[in-house]
Amino acid sequence: MGQPATMAARAQRNDAPWLTLKMREAMEAWLFLSPTLAGFLIFFVAPLVAVLGYSLTEWNLLSQQATFVGLANYDDALMRNADFWHVARNSAVFALGLVPLNMALALLLALALSGRFRGVVVFRTIFFAPVVTSAAAWAIVWKFQLQGEAGFINQVLAGIGITGPNWLREPNWAMAAVIVTRVIKMVGLNMILYIAALQAIPRDYDAAARLEGASGLQIFRMITWPLLGPTTLVIMVITTIGSFKVFDHIYLMTGGGPENGTLVLAFYIYQQGFEFFNVGYASALAMIMFVIVMALTVVQLALRRKDT
Amino acid sequence: MSSLTLSGIKKRFGKVDVIRGVDLEVEDGEFVVFVGPSGCGKSTLLRMIAGLEDITSGELRIGERVMNEVQPARRGVAMVFQSYALYPHLTVRDNMGFGLKVRGVKPEERASRIAAAAAILKLDALLERFPRELSGGQRQRVAIGRAIVGEPDVFLFDEPLSNLDAELRVHMRSEIAALHQRLGNTMIYVTHDQIEAMTLADKIVVLRDGIVEQVGTPHELYRRPRNLFVAQFIGSPKMNVVPLADVELPPGLVAPANAVSIGMRPEHLAITNPGSGIVSGRVAIAEYTGASSLLHVELDSGAICLVVHQGDEPQAGKRIDLRIDTGNLHSFGADGTACGPPTGHPRS
Ligand SMILES: Nc1ncnc2c1ncn2[C@@H]1O[C@H](COP(=O)(O)OP(=O)(O)OP(=O)(O)O)[C@@H](O)[C@H]1O
Ligand SMILES: [Mg+2]
Repeated sequence: MGQPATMAARAQRNDAPWLTLKMREAMEAWLFLSPTLAGFLIFFVAPLVAVLGYSLTEWNLLSQQATFVGLANYDDALMRNADFWHVARNSAVFALGLVPLNMALALLLALALSGRFRGVVVFRTIFFAPVVTSAAAWAIVWKFQLQGEAGFINQVLAGIGITGPNWLREPNWAMAAVIVTRVIKMVGLNMILYIAALQAIPRDYDAAARLEGASGLQIFRMITWPLLGPTTLVIMVITTIGSFKVFDHIYLMTGGGPENGTLVLAFYIYQQGFEFFNVGYASALAMIMFVIVMALTVVQLALRRKDT
Repeated sequence: MSSLTLSGIKKRFGKVDVIRGVDLEVEDGEFVVFVGPSGCGKSTLLRMIAGLEDITSGELRIGERVMNEVQPARRGVAMVFQSYALYPHLTVRDNMGFGLKVRGVKPEERASRIAAAAAILKLDALLERFPRELSGGQRQRVAIGRAIVGEPDVFLFDEPLSNLDAELRVHMRSEIAALHQRLGNTMIYVTHDQIEAMTLADKIVVLRDGIVEQVGTPHELYRRPRNLFVAQFIGSPKMNVVPLADVELPPGLVAPANAVSIGMRPEHLAITNPGSGIVSGRVAIAEYTGASSLLHVELDSGAICLVVHQGDEPQAGKRIDLRIDTGNLHSFGADGTACGPPTGHPRS
C-alpha cells in the first residue's frame, strides 16, 4: 500500500524539476483560462479587427471588390449622410424609453414578488415566460394585436370608448409600441435579477429599521434602494446594451417603418450591409455603435463609482 | 423604564405551536435572561415582545399598556440582533442615527445623542467607519449603541455575543453588565449559553419547546432546579443523574418516596476513603484542565459520573469512592420533577 503512494509522490516531484512553483501555477492558470481566451479571441477580437478593416474600405459584396478609402465611410456617416443621425436619434429614443420603463417595472414586480406567499412562483413564471419565448413569435403576435381596427388592443380600447390609433402606422405610436412590447418581453429577466438581490438582503435590516420607526417607504429609500445599487448598475448596463442591439423585434414588427420612424442603429447596419451590400459603410456604422455602447457603459460604471 | 407582563402568550407558525403559553413578570429595571436549547422559541418570544412577530394569543403589557396591537416602533423597545443588522452602506454614525433620523429628531440633538452613546461605548474614534471596517466586538458595540440612542424603556438582546470568540465574549459580557448598571433599564437577553445566563441575570427563564420550565434567580435554579431538564441545563459540567439503586445514601438518610434517581453536581463530588462513599467506581478518563481535572468515573452499574477534582488526578483504572455533602443532593421522580432532597438525620 505504502509503496505506490511514495512512488507517485516522487514521480511528481521529479516531474520537470526546473519549474518553480510560481511558474507551475502560472502555467496552470493560463491552461484554465485558455478555452475562454480562445473563444474571446476567435469570436470577439478577430471579428472586431476584421470589421475595423472593412470599415476602411469601399466594398460592395456584389462586385467583390474592396478598395481602401481611409476614413471616408466614417465621414459619410457622421458628416454627410443625414440618415445616420436620424437613426441614432431613434436608437436613443428607443433606449431612453425602454431602459427606465424596463427597470422601473422590473423593480416593482420584484418588490411584489420577492416575498414568499401562495402562488408567488406562478406569478414569477408568468412574468418570466416571455423572456424565453421566441422573439419572432412574440413580435408577430403583437403585430396582430396592434393592428388598426381589427387588433385586439384597439378592440379592448373601443370597449371602453376610446378610439386607439393605428399603432404601427404612425411613427411615434410605432416607436412607443415597439418599446412597450419589448419591455413586456424582457422585463422578466431584470425582475429575476432584482428578486435575487432583494432576497440577498438580510431580513434583520428590515426588522431593525421597523423597530426604529422607519416607514415602508423610508426603508425602501434609505436601505433597500442603496443596497440594490450594484444590481441596478448591472441591470442598467445590460439593458442599455441590449436596447442598442435590438433588431429582430423591430424588423418583424415594423420593418423600421413607418417613415423610418423605428429604424434603429442595429437595423440600419443590417440594411446597409445585407440589403444594399455596402459592407464598408455598414462596418463603419458597426464600429460607431460599438464605441457608443462602450462609452455609455464606461460612463455608467464611472457614475456608480463616484456614488460610493 | 418599564415592567413587562406576559400572560398566556402563544405563537403558532402555520400548524406548529412554537410558544405554548408563557406567563412571565419582568420588573422594572430587571435583567432577565431567556435560556434554553436551540429551537425552543427564545428568539420568537423576544421578537413577539418587540412586535416583529404578532402574538397568536395571550396578552403582552409593557408598563401598564397592552401592546399586542401596537407597532414595534411605539413599544419603547430597542433590539440588538445576533447578526447585528448594521446597515452596510451607512457609517457607524449614520447607523446609530438612523432611528433618530426617521423619527425626525433634529440634527443637533441627533449629533449630541450619538456622541453621548459613542462615549459610553468607546466608539468615538470609529464614527466615520463603515461596518465592514470594524472588528466583531466593535460591530457589537455599534449595535448596542444604536439601541442606546433611541433611549428605549426596554432593551432586547438576541444572542448578541454568539458571533464573538470566547475571550471577547467574556469581555463584552462584562460590558453589558456594566451598561445595565449604568442605565438601569429593563433588559431581556436571549442566550443558549448558561454561563452567560448565570453571570448576567437577575432572573433566568428556562425555556423548552415553547414552555417555561422554571423562572428564578441564578441561585435558585442552581440550588433547587424544579426538574431534570433544568437541573441538567444549568451548571457546567452538567449534573450527574444516577438511578437511586446505584446510590448508597448515608445511613439514616432516606430519599423521598417517589424518587427514582439522584442528582449530584460534578463540582460537589469528592474522592473519599474506600467504603465510605455514596457511589464508587473506576476512573475511566481523567481530563486535566489546569485548575482542576474532570474525572469520568464508571460506576459498577455502567453509568458514568463526572467529578470535578482538585489536585493530582488519580490514574485511569483506579477504583475510587465519592462523597458529597447531603445538602447538595437532588432527587427526581419518574416524570423528571424534583422531589426534594433526601431527608433524615445522617448519623456520623
Ligand atoms: N417564521 C417561521 N416560520 C415557521 N417556523 C418558525 C419561524 N420562525 C421560527 N420558527 C420555528 O420556531 C421554533 C423556535 O424558533 P426560535 O428561532 O424562536 O428558536 P430559538 O430558541 O431562538 O433557537 P436558537 O437558539 O437556535 O436561536 C423553531 O422550531 C423554528 O423552526
Ligand atoms: Mg434564536
